[in-house]
Formats: sequence, structure tokens, C-alpha cells
Amino acid sequence: MKCEKCEIIVDGISVYFNSSKILENIKFEVKKGEMLGIIGPNGSGKTTLLKCIARSIIPKGRIIIFGKPIEEYTNNEYSKIVSALLPNWPNGFNMKVYEVVLMGCRNRTNSFWWEKEEDIKATEEFLKLLKVYHLHDRDFTTLSSGEQRRVLIAKSLVQRTDIILLDEPIAYLDLKYRIEIMEILKSLSKNNKIVIISAHEIDLASSYCDKIIVLNNGKIVAMGKPRDIINEKLIYEVYGINATIKWFENYPIIIPKRNIKKEELLCLN
Amino acid sequence: MLTLAKQRKIRLLIYLSFLSVLLFLSFLSSLMIGSFPLSPIEVFENLINPEKNKTISTIIYNYRLPRALFALITGFSLGISGGVIQSLTRNPLADPYITGMASGAALGAAIAFLIPIISIYFIPFFAFLGGISSILLTIFLAKKAKAGPIGFILAGIAIGTFASALLIFIITLAQEKAHGIIYWIYGSFSTSKWSDIIITLPIVAFCSLFLFINARDLNILLLGEEHASQLGINAKRLWILMLLISSLCVSSCVAFCGIIGFIGLVAPHMIRLILSSDNRFVLPLGGLTGAFLLLLSDNIVKSSINPFGEMPISTITSIMGVPFFIYLLIKKGGRYEM
Repeated sequence: MKCEKCEIIVDGISVYFNSSKILENIKFEVKKGEMLGIIGPNGSGKTTLLKCIARSIIPKGRIIIFGKPIEEYTNNEYSKIVSALLPNWPNGFNMKVYEVVLMGCRNRTNSFWWEKEEDIKATEEFLKLLKVYHLHDRDFTTLSSGEQRRVLIAKSLVQRTDIILLDEPIAYLDLKYRIEIMEILKSLSKNNKIVIISAHEIDLASSYCDKIIVLNNGKIVAMGKPRDIINEKLIYEVYGINATIKWFENYPIIIPKRNIKKEELLCLN
Repeated sequence: MLTLAKQRKIRLLIYLSFLSVLLFLSFLSSLMIGSFPLSPIEVFENLINPEKNKTISTIIYNYRLPRALFALITGFSLGISGGVIQSLTRNPLADPYITGMASGAALGAAIAFLIPIISIYFIPFFAFLGGISSILLTIFLAKKAKAGPIGFILAGIAIGTFASALLIFIITLAQEKAHGIIYWIYGSFSTSKWSDIIITLPIVAFCSLFLFINARDLNILLLGEEHASQLGINAKRLWILMLLISSLCVSSCVAFCGIIGFIGLVAPHMIRLILSSDNRFVLPLGGLTGAFLLLLSDNIVKSSINPFGEMPISTITSIMGVPFFIYLLIKKGGRYEM
């Protein structure tokens, strides 16, 4: 089932941690210009899957990117192909916002002292694009979660790679920025980049992504066009709740039914 | 409107020129201050024309100039290495003294001094062995103890104290004078010679150059191995290389002037507070700030001399550094992860 045109081929990867399965036999392919969304409940393996593609975790099985197994790339080569926004952002020495974003240019140039003119320009452009330019002189640690998230997205995008992995890019963001960032990612994928995101926002992911992978307990339970796979039965299987789904063109509205039983709340009394 | 990169360069230039003036003044006063005070005019006249007054030029060329230059080199190397160690261990409280590196280096150097067959040119190498093994031991202990940044500091203090105790033990057994002990444990420039500079300067120059070149990657190392690899850096190799080089840089100085505390802590943090945490600023400017602070401390030492001799230099650097350490401990102590 190898597809010639596919830039990313994930060929049956599994991840075990202390004999418990995190991911099991994951297989999928992504083509150029595609935006892929990974959804699933907490602990279903979304982040682990992204980490495998970003080479932070070495799984069992193969991942092939641009026709070459990922372990054959050097760090430097790989950083020019894949950028990733992963959790566990360390609390560094109060770096300024501008400096954090500027670091993303490290993969492009080997000049050791000052960044090249084009990198500095790109940094400022991405700061403006993600509406964090006015924060450039603030310490990163003093920002709100949403602002930090936008800065980190800018840092990932300034790497200007063909493959962009983002773990929950729209978490912490307000309504306006969610839409804006999804639009930015969508236009990136239309520019022949590959964008892979994980998200809890099924509605937004469905309306922007070309393809959705639904993970549950480390396995793929559904994969395909959002309109074809997102339905009430799937939501019940994956999340265990009854919900009504209404589609407005590409945008699903998911109305969950109240779920928690009175007896479970007894401990609150 | 100015671009962000230009704004940064302008700030850099302002601070650099300010610092150069301070450095120049403290260097000049270092040549003036001593048991035989000189006026600035006398200093300049005799620097330009050593034949003018034999006594004064002897004082300047044989005693004050090597002393001032060596204090400058040591301060520079402590300032840089402090910045590097703080970034590598991701611990704002770390510096060559607190991690036990300086004490280990002094122990190594003292052992080499006491073995008569070892040439003076190999002393920095022994100091380096002592310094690197101390900090590696500290890092190992801190990882084992899993006690976070404060555990790291405690491990460093334990190793440092142990090395200092061994140092006193060995020097006493070798029947060196008590002055020797104070010299090693608390540092002094009173015996600095041109030969010390000839040995140390090339080492410090090489190490600083290496650390400067990698300053940008050191920034990224601050984000952790995962992020560093994503940006194309071989994190493990760079980490160990930078630790080795910064420890060589400090050890070669400690070998000739003893243990000097807190310069490596204060200098880089001053740059972080005033300018930025970017190591491309922190390392060179932290080095210069360290050089200035150490020259200043040495000037205070020299101007407070009494008939029984000088006080050790760590007296002054500790008086300056400990309040700063406490400030950092309270403000940032728990906030960073090892």
C-alpha cells in the first residue's frame, strides 16, 4: 500500500512504555499540501505520535519522510525538513519574546554570531503575523498562556520547514486567535507544506483539516475526510458520551448530552 | 522605526562603551593603588617611557601591571564560565565556585605544585583535571539525589567543601606556611607574575573564543535537549564540550590565584538583568563585567593593606556576591529545573 506521492509514510509504528502500550501499529500517509488533524481523548497517544515524527521518541516500526527513513537524517538535515511545537516548554532564563522566535532560525543558517538579514526579517514578519510583535521586548515567562502559545507557534513557523507538527496549537487561545491560527495553518498547507496538528477542538479541526485521524487507546479508530467520519456513533465510541452533531457545511456543531451521574457527585457534598 | 535587531545592537554598544570606561578607570587605579601610591601622570609617564624613573617603572612593570592584567584575565574567565555553567545546568545559582569546580581545580593545582618534578606549564592541566572531576561529580550527585536546583547547589557545596578540606590537609602536611592556605582557599593576586599570564592567557583566549562561537547554540541548549535537536544541534556533544572548555578556562586561572567566589555568579546575571539573557550578550559582556568586578575588588584589597599583609580577595567578592546570591535564591531559587 506504499503510495509514491506520499511525503510522510508512517508504517506500522508502536510505542511501549514500561510494558503498557501507548501506540499500537499506527499506519497512515500524508501527501504534500495536506493538513492532517489528530483528535482523540486525553491519553490517547496524540502527542506521542507527533513526538515520534519529530524524532523525540524512537518507536518500533518505520517512518519514512521524502523517501528516506527518518533515522537516516542528521539532526541538522532533519531540522530543515521538520519543525515541531511540542509540550514541555522549559522555563529558560527569561528569554525575551524576540529572542525565543529568533532561535527558530538556527536550522537555516550556520552563521554562528548574528542571524542573516533574511532571518531577522522573517522573524519580524512572523511576530507580526501571529500578533505578538508588540510583546517582543517582554520576558517570555511573563506572558499569558495564550500569548506564549502564539510565540511558540511563531518560533516553529520561522523554521520555514516543509513539514510542520503542532501539538494543540489552539489550546489556550481565544475565539479570534483560534480562527486566525487555523487560517494561517490552512494557507501554509495550500502552499504545498504538510501541516499536522493535534487538537481537542473537533469542530475547528474538522472544518480546516483535509484529513482527520481519530485515536483511542493508542489505536486509529477512524481516518478520512472529516465529513465522512465524524458522527454521533464515533463520538460515543471514543469519548463515551451521547452527542448530537449538526453540520453547517464543513463545520460540525457537537452538542454533548449531560453525562455525569448524580451519584458520582455525592463526594462534593 | 528601528528594527529589533538594530535596537539590540545599539543597547549593546551603549553598555559596552560604559563598561570600557569603567574598566579603563579601574585598570588605571589598579596601577596607582598600592603601598607606594602613584599619581595617574606618573603612571602614564612611566608606562610610555620606562627609563624615566627606574623605581616607579620597576613597581609598575614587575608588580602592578602583571597583577592588574592577571586579575583582568581571571575576572574575564570567571564571568564567561559562570554564564556558561548557569546555562548548561539551567541553574541560575550555579557558578564555578558554588559547583565545586574552583575548589577542585585549586586542589589539583596544589597537588601539582607540591610535586617538584611537575613543570609550571602543566599546572593548569592538573587544575583542569581537579575542576572537571568536581563539577561532574556535583552533576552526578544532583541527578542521583533528584532534589532539583537547590539539590544541585547543595551537592556543589558538599564537593567544594570536601575539596577545600583536602587542600588544607595536603598543604598542612607539606608544611607550607599558613599564608599558603589562605592564598589557595580565598584567592590572592599578590604573587601574580608575568609567567602566570604567559601560561594562562593563551588558554583563556582559546576557551573564550570557543565559548563565544557557540554562544548562540548555548541559548538553544537552554531549551533542553529535545528542542535543541529539533533545531539541528547535537545537544549531548555540545553540552559536554562546553562543560570541558569552561572548566579548563576557570581552572587555568584558579591554578595561579586560588579560589575566588561569586564573580562568576554576579557578572553574567548583571548582563541578564540589564540587557538580555541572550548568551551572545551574556558571555562577552559578562566576561568584561567579571574583569571589572575583580579589578575593583583587588583595588579594595590593595588599598586596605595593613602591616600584617593583605586580606584575601574572596572577602570582597563574597561581600559583593552573597547578597546577590540570596536575592537570586529568593527570587528564582525554585523556578528552574535541572
